[in-house]
Amino acid sequence: MKVPLKLAALTIAVCASFACKRTQREVVVYTSVDQPFAEPIFREFEKRSGIQVRAVFDTEETKSTGVLNRLIAEAQRPQADVFWSGDPVRPFVLAKRGLLEPYASAAAASIPAQFKSADGLWTGAAARAKILLVNTRRVAPPDMPQSILDLANPRWKAQAAIANPVFGTTTMYVAALFTVWGDDRAKAFLEQIKANGTRIASSNGEVRRLVAAGEVAFGLTDTDDAHEALQDKAPVQVVYPDQGDLGTLVMPNAVVLIKGGPHPAEARALVDHLVSPEVEKRMTETAGHIPLRRDLAGTPGPGPFRTMQVDYARMADEIGKIEPWLRQWTGI
Amino acid sequence: MDRHLSATLKRAQEPLALGAVGSMLIVAALLPFVFLVVNLVRAPAELSAGLALLGSREPWFVFLRSVGSALVVALASMLVGMPLGLLLGCTDVRGRKAALILHVFPVFLPPFLLALGWFHLFGRSGLWGGSEWTSGALFSLGGSVAVEALAFAPVVTSLVALALQGIDPSLVEAARVTARPGRVATRILLPLAWPAAALGGLVVFALSLSELGVPMFLRVRSYSAAVFARLGAVQYAPGEALVLTLPMLLISIALLVLERRLVGPRSFSVLGLRSTGKTVLPLGSWRPIGTLVAWAGALATLFPFVGLAWRASTGTAAVQDWIGSGVQNSIVPAAIAATLLSGMAVVLGRAIALRRAGAKALDALTVLAFVTPAAVLGVGLIGVWNRSGTQPIYGTLAIIVIGFVARYAVLPTRTFALAVARASPHFEESAAVEGAWFLRRLVRIVVPLHAGAIVAAWLLAFVFCLRDLETTILFYPAGSAPLTVRIITLEANGPEPVVAALALVHTSIVAAALVLGALAFRPRRRA
Repeated sequence: MKVPLKLAALTIAVCASFACKRTQREVVVYTSVDQPFAEPIFREFEKRSGIQVRAVFDTEETKSTGVLNRLIAEAQRPQADVFWSGDPVRPFVLAKRGLLEPYASAAAASIPAQFKSADGLWTGAAARAKILLVNTRRVAPPDMPQSILDLANPRWKAQAAIANPVFGTTTMYVAALFTVWGDDRAKAFLEQIKANGTRIASSNGEVRRLVAAGEVAFGLTDTDDAHEALQDKAPVQVVYPDQGDLGTLVMPNAVVLIKGGPHPAEARALVDHLVSPEVEKRMTETAGHIPLRRDLAGTPGPGPFRTMQVDYARMADEIGKIEPWLRQWTGI
Repeated sequence: MDRHLSATLKRAQEPLALGAVGSMLIVAALLPFVFLVVNLVRAPAELSAGLALLGSREPWFVFLRSVGSALVVALASMLVGMPLGLLLGCTDVRGRKAALILHVFPVFLPPFLLALGWFHLFGRSGLWGGSEWTSGALFSLGGSVAVEALAFAPVVTSLVALALQGIDPSLVEAARVTARPGRVATRILLPLAWPAAALGGLVVFALSLSELGVPMFLRVRSYSAAVFARLGAVQYAPGEALVLTLPMLLISIALLVLERRLVGPRSFSVLGLRSTGKTVLPLGSWRPIGTLVAWAGALATLFPFVGLAWRASTGTAAVQDWIGSGVQNSIVPAAIAATLLSGMAVVLGRAIALRRAGAKALDALTVLAFVTPAAVLGVGLIGVWNRSGTQPIYGTLAIIVIGFVARYAVLPTRTFALAVARASPHFEESAAVEGAWFLRRLVRIVVPLHAGAIVAAWLLAFVFCLRDLETTILFYPAGSAPLTVRIITLEANGPEPVVAALALVHTSIVAAALVLGALAFRPRRRA
């Protein structure tokens, strides 16, 4: 009898501490930016502003869509103030549902117009690019793949990897191909990739791991994943694909304000911070991102490369259209 | 009149208490599904899309593959668990208690942590790997089955050991007069332990079928991951995900029926009827071999910790930077949920053991909530609790507690039911004859008599809440991620040594909880 009583007493004590209400100023942010990079930036904001940041991070497997769907599920009663998206397309899904509050932050004035919306619905801040990560132990420099078409090239049969295109930035990349190439060519290409034995990894992080470990010769992933592999001194090299024609896809992170969020003033302060030059510089230095501001001279990043010409809003529409086919393509 | 009313109320104590527990379960576990079904009916497009998906070949292929692999996992677990349960349950192998504890321990951890440990052993850059073959074998269906079988085998081992510790030693002593140990084991002990082994097999099958972390980590297609993916894709369609869970619900119902037909009536009477813990089967000259086999089997399940420790060796210093409030966010809701659950288990477990009206239905509800994909439950919980009047629940750790109550009620309830079924009903009957009403009997007889079972139920609920990932990941309050969620969100992009170190922190918390539980069970010496 004594032990259960002690347990009950302990639990009541725990409940009491659990019931303590928060009194500090706070802001709630949902983010699909990788936790190892996002969390230090939130801690820095807390120190500067005195506003506590409560964050929800995405898992790698449902990157960009897990928290996005949580935002949709909570639409009747928003819990989040800010969504810091790892790509510029998902915010359009929220915009279509009327879940965003326009806010043109003064801190984003120097961000080029093509990387933010004119009505202030979303603001880009630091970008990633879709690249080929090649294992240098398996592939000599002259033989390195130079195009995403190599994913379907029999020469690389069962030696390449891409992340599941239902999630993350790979959805965006595939949507870009559909907008640029048209449905028939894009579908045929994806079928060829499958027939070529290309591994469908659960995430871009998995692609990085597969390439770094030499389990595949190369894979399609993002610059931040490549940056991590290089930081870990893995035997890898980055190739910016399709410099002759298609170009390399650039995907800016996007910061949006959630309509009806519980802490609007704090949310604006956090948006100002996330789109600031300091954070962009930091993302470039620590997370392998590419600065969008031209005035961030001297920031380490890739040299000039040919970028894919795309319309993010159109890509968002395309994702909605192709998703059922993509699920069928991936198996469910 | 007052006396009449008072007597009526006293008579109603038991059904009222059961009704209260049932209401809690209905609110926590059934309401989310009702919410999803109502929404599905309101959105016929999602219903027809889901049915169209089920009408195609691909989902069924993935489903049958998952059922097949879960079946193999269950059979492999039984193959490992039955002989180990026999050796560790009732023979004289050296250090069998220690071996049993070490062998069973991993079952209280999230299986994806064990997969992570195997990865650090056999991955391309692993401690014992370094080859494409080991890595390829791990990242395959076979690898996933092996990881899950080793993770879940202790379920079978512990149930078989428990069952064998409870058998009447005289049965074996009589047989030993003429038969060798091997014959006694195969002809007497294993048939006696069969209901426990079958129950273990069913539990493992259910756990494997709904497992999310291992197939996702090892990049193996599984049906539960597909359902989770349906909630994570761009076109948010919880209704479609619900339709996709229908085959799993059918399997769950089939398992429940099977459990009741196959082992249900016997499970309570066979499992640990009298847990003497004594050696009933001396192995004689086979003792050294028996000891070797038992310890090899026990230690095999501990290998992942070697991988984690090796990888964590350079990451412990940075743990402080990344752990956040993960430990507190794991322990607080798990402790509250375990307390609530063990309180509910006292009422419901007793009612199940004594076959009270309504108890069977509530038992079925707890089983179905346990085996249904947690992601679906999560979406239902968001729908039910994210309302203006319920923010003190949805915006706090309370929503995690509700998720735990919904998902894990079956564990403490069955534990307590087992204890009540084992005990003599005469104490309560005598008290009832003397005029003690239900609540009085509960407080004065049932609780003191089964204090150990309550602690065991609390501990079981606590460690399963601690190991949870898939229930809470969809709705944990912002800034309150439990440690398991922090590990999985850091796993893909965080520094590997830190992630391994966080996994070991989680392991240490569970180990500490189990040690404290064992101390609570420690037999006290009389002065």
